[in-house]
Amino acid sequence: MPLLEIFDPKAPPRPIGIDLGTTHSLVAYVRGGHPRVIADCDGELLLPSVVAYGPAGVLVGTKAKLQACDSPRDTIVSVKRYMGRGADDPETRRLGPYDFAARGEAQSNVVRFQVQGTTLVTPVEVSAEILRTLKRRAEDELRSVGGAVVTVPAYFDDAQRQATKDAARLAGLDVLRLLNEPTAAALAYGLEKRQNGTFAVYDLGGGTFDITVLVLDQGVFQVKATGGDSALGGDDMDRAIAQEIFEQLGPHTEPALVRRILDDARGIKHALTESEEVEREVLGRAVRITRPRFEALVAPLLGRTGAVCRRVLRDAGVRGADLDGVILVGGATRVPCVRAYVRELFEQEPRSDVDPDQVVALGAAIQADLLAGQGVRDDVLLLDVIPLSLGLEVGGGVVDKILPRNTTIPAAARAQYTTQEDRQTGFEIHVVQGEREMVRDARSLARFTLKGIPPMPAGLAKLEVTFRVDADGLLSVEAREQTTGIAQLVQVKPSYGLDDATVEKMLLEALDHGEEDLVERQLAQNRIEAHRILASTAKALEADRALLHAGEELCIANAMEALTKASKGNEPALMHARMDALDLVSKAFAERRMNRAIALAIEGRRVDEVASEVSS
Amino acid sequence: MDTHLPFNVRLDPFATLGLAPSFVLDVPAVERRHRDLSRALHPDRFVGTSSSERRAALAKAVEVNEAWRLLRDPVRRAEVLFSRVGIPIDHQPATEPAFLMEILELREALGEAQAAHDLGAITRLSTAVAARARLLESELAEGFESARDDRDRLEPLVGRLGQLRYLQRFLDQVRAIEDDFN
Repeated sequence: MPLLEIFDPKAPPRPIGIDLGTTHSLVAYVRGGHPRVIADCDGELLLPSVVAYGPAGVLVGTKAKLQACDSPRDTIVSVKRYMGRGADDPETRRLGPYDFAARGEAQSNVVRFQVQGTTLVTPVEVSAEILRTLKRRAEDELRSVGGAVVTVPAYFDDAQRQATKDAARLAGLDVLRLLNEPTAAALAYGLEKRQNGTFAVYDLGGGTFDITVLVLDQGVFQVKATGGDSALGGDDMDRAIAQEIFEQLGPHTEPALVRRILDDARGIKHALTESEEVEREVLGRAVRITRPRFEALVAPLLGRTGAVCRRVLRDAGVRGADLDGVILVGGATRVPCVRAYVRELFEQEPRSDVDPDQVVALGAAIQADLLAGQGVRDDVLLLDVIPLSLGLEVGGGVVDKILPRNTTIPAAARAQYTTQEDRQTGFEIHVVQGEREMVRDARSLARFTLKGIPPMPAGLAKLEVTFRVDADGLLSVEAREQTTGIAQLVQVKPSYGLDDATVEKMLLEALDHGEEDLVERQLAQNRIEAHRILASTAKALEADRALLHAGEELCIANAMEALTKASKGNEPALMHARMDALDLVSKAFAERRMNRAIALAIEGRRVDEVASEVSS
Repeated sequence: MDTHLPFNVRLDPFATLGLAPSFVLDVPAVERRHRDLSRALHPDRFVGTSSSERRAALAKAVEVNEAWRLLRDPVRRAEVLFSRVGIPIDHQPATEPAFLMEILELREALGEAQAAHDLGAITRLSTAVAARARLLESELAEGFESARDDRDRLEPLVGRLGQLRYLQRFLDQVRAIEDDFN
C-alpha cells in the first residue's frame, strides 16, 4: 500500500538518484523495483539548472529561468561548466553574461560569480541550490530522503568530482556515490533490456560530452574505456548559432542581449529538429537559419566527439561495427545531424528508446537503491574506471604516469623515487592529471612538499608515493620517505576546490539552526550506522561461525553489547569509540571471511550458489 | 622531482587472481576471473556492513584490480615473473647499442612523419614496431615456458624485456600523436 507509506510520519528514508545536469537536473527513486523520475507540483520532471539571486532571495528552476533575461548577471545558467575550474580557466572567459570576481590574494583559485552587486558565490554553492531544490522535491514525495547517488560526467577530472561532492554535502545530502553518467545510463538501459554484450554510450549533454565502452556480462557492467570533453555540449551549438546571429546583426556585448540571443539560439536549434529552415525576429530584424547552415556550424563540434570516440574504441580494442549497441544519452542527441553522425561513426543505428533526458537519473536511482541495500538485485555490479591518467611531475617537467587512464577503480599504485642532489631535505610533489608527456600540458591537481628528511647523499633517500582512487573516482596521495618513515597524506583538492574547513563553514551557515542541529543530525546518523553495523555483524556471525577462532566470539559479543548500549545514549563520541572497538575485535574475522569469499570466487562459485546447493 | 626507481612488485598478482604464473595469458579467462572476484569483493557489496568488513573488502578489491592491471600489460607481466624468481629488474643490463641505434632511427622517422603530418608513414612505422613487439612477446613467452623457474636460464631474457619497454614506449608515443591529429 503506497498510500500508507507516503503518509507514514515514520517513513523509512528512501535512497534517491540525482542527475545534476548542465541545462536541467532530475531526481528519481525506485518504487516497486522500477525507477521513476519525481515530478514537481506542476508535473514537471526536468528542473532547469538555473539559479537566480534576487533581493528577495534565491530562485531555482523555471522561475529563475524566466528572469534570466532581465537580470542576466544575477542568474546563473549552466553552472556545471564552471565546477572545479580555476578563475583563470579559458572556460570562464567564453561567451557569457557573468561578472567574475577577481582572484583575491589569499583565496584559492576558484571561480566566483558576482551577483546582486557585491555578493560572491562559487559554483559549488550555486549547484547546492539546485540540489537542495531536488532534495525538497523528493521529500515532498517520499517524506524522508536517505542517501543519494549523484551523477557526474565520466570525463570529469578530480577537481570537478570533488566540487560536485562538496555541493551535495552543502545541500545536506548524504552522498552514497558519485556515479559516471554513461555508466548510469547503461545501468538503466541494460537492466531494462537484459542483454549481454559490448555497448557504447554516446552522451552529449548540455555542456559535457562522454563516450564510454562497456561490457555487460551477467549483471556486471564493466567499463572498458571512457573518454570525453568536459566542455562540449548542446550549449556550444547554441553559442555557434548565437555567433551566427551576431554576424547577421553586428556584434553586441550587453549581458541581457547575450542571454536573450543565447536563448533564441537554443529555440532555433530545437525548431530545426523538426523544420528545414527557421526564421526568428531578433532585435526587430529577421534572422534566418537553414538546417544545412546549422549542420555546417556544428560539424566541428561533432568532429571533436568523433576524434574522442575513435580513441576510446581503440583503447577498448573494439570496432564500432562490432558493438552490440550504441546508446544515445543527453538532450543534444535529439538533433538529427548528431544521430546521423553517430550512425556513420559506429556503422550502426544508435538506440534511444529510453528517454535520453531521463535515463541517467533512472540509472542513478537504481544504483542508490542497490547501495542502500534495498534492491533485490544483488547480482548487479558496476565496475568503473578513471577517465584520465594520474601521475607525478619528475625531472625536466615530465609526467610520470602512476595510474593509467581506464584503470578499474577502486585502485591503488605505488611508485618509488630518490633524490638527485646531496643533502636534499625536501621532496617537491606535484600531482597531475592528463595524457600528455609534459607537465605544462597536464592539469595540475595538487602540490605539496614532504619536509624534514635528514640530509643524505643523492640517491639514498627512498620516497614512496601511493595513489589511491576510491569508488567515487576521487584521488588521495600519500608520500612516505622510507628510510625515516616521514609521511604525509593529502586528499587532493586544494588547487581548485574549496578546503574542508570552508565546506564545513558553509554547511553550518546553510543550516537553519547551526551547530545544535548538526550535533542532532550526527547523533541520528551515528545511530543508524551503529544499527547497520550490529545487524551486519550478527549476520556475519550467523553465516560463518565456523571461521571464528577460540574466544573470538565472546570478544565480538561483548563489543556488540557495548555498542548497543552506547547507541541508546546521546554521546556521539562514545558511539564512535564503541564502533571502533567492535571494528578492532572483528578485524581478523572479517579478513578470514574475505579470503573465503575469494577462494569461492576463484572456484567459480558464488556464495549464493553454495548456499542453494546446501539447501537443496 | 627526482629519479624514478623501477617498479617494485610487492604482491604476486598471479596468486591474487588464483592463476598459475605464466607469460602466456588467456585474456578472456583472466577477465572473467577478475569479474568474478569483483563480484565478491567490490565495495558496493559491503555498504552497510561493519567497517572492518568494508576495509578488508576494499583492500582485496584494490589488490584484485591492481593484479589485473599488471597482468594485462606484457611488460608488467614479465617484471612480475622475473621478480618472482628473484631476478632484480631494477639493475638491467645495458641495452645493445645496435638496438638503441635502431630505436633512435625509428624515433627520428616518427618525428619527421609527425612534422610532415604524414599519417600514412606513422601508421607504417607503428605497424612495423607493433609486429616486432609481438615477436619479442612470443620470444619471452617461449623463454619463460622452457626455462620454468630456472634463474640461470631466465636471466638472459631480461634484455628482451628492456627492448620490449622501448618498443612499448614508442607505440605510446604513436598513440599520443594519433590523438593529436584526430
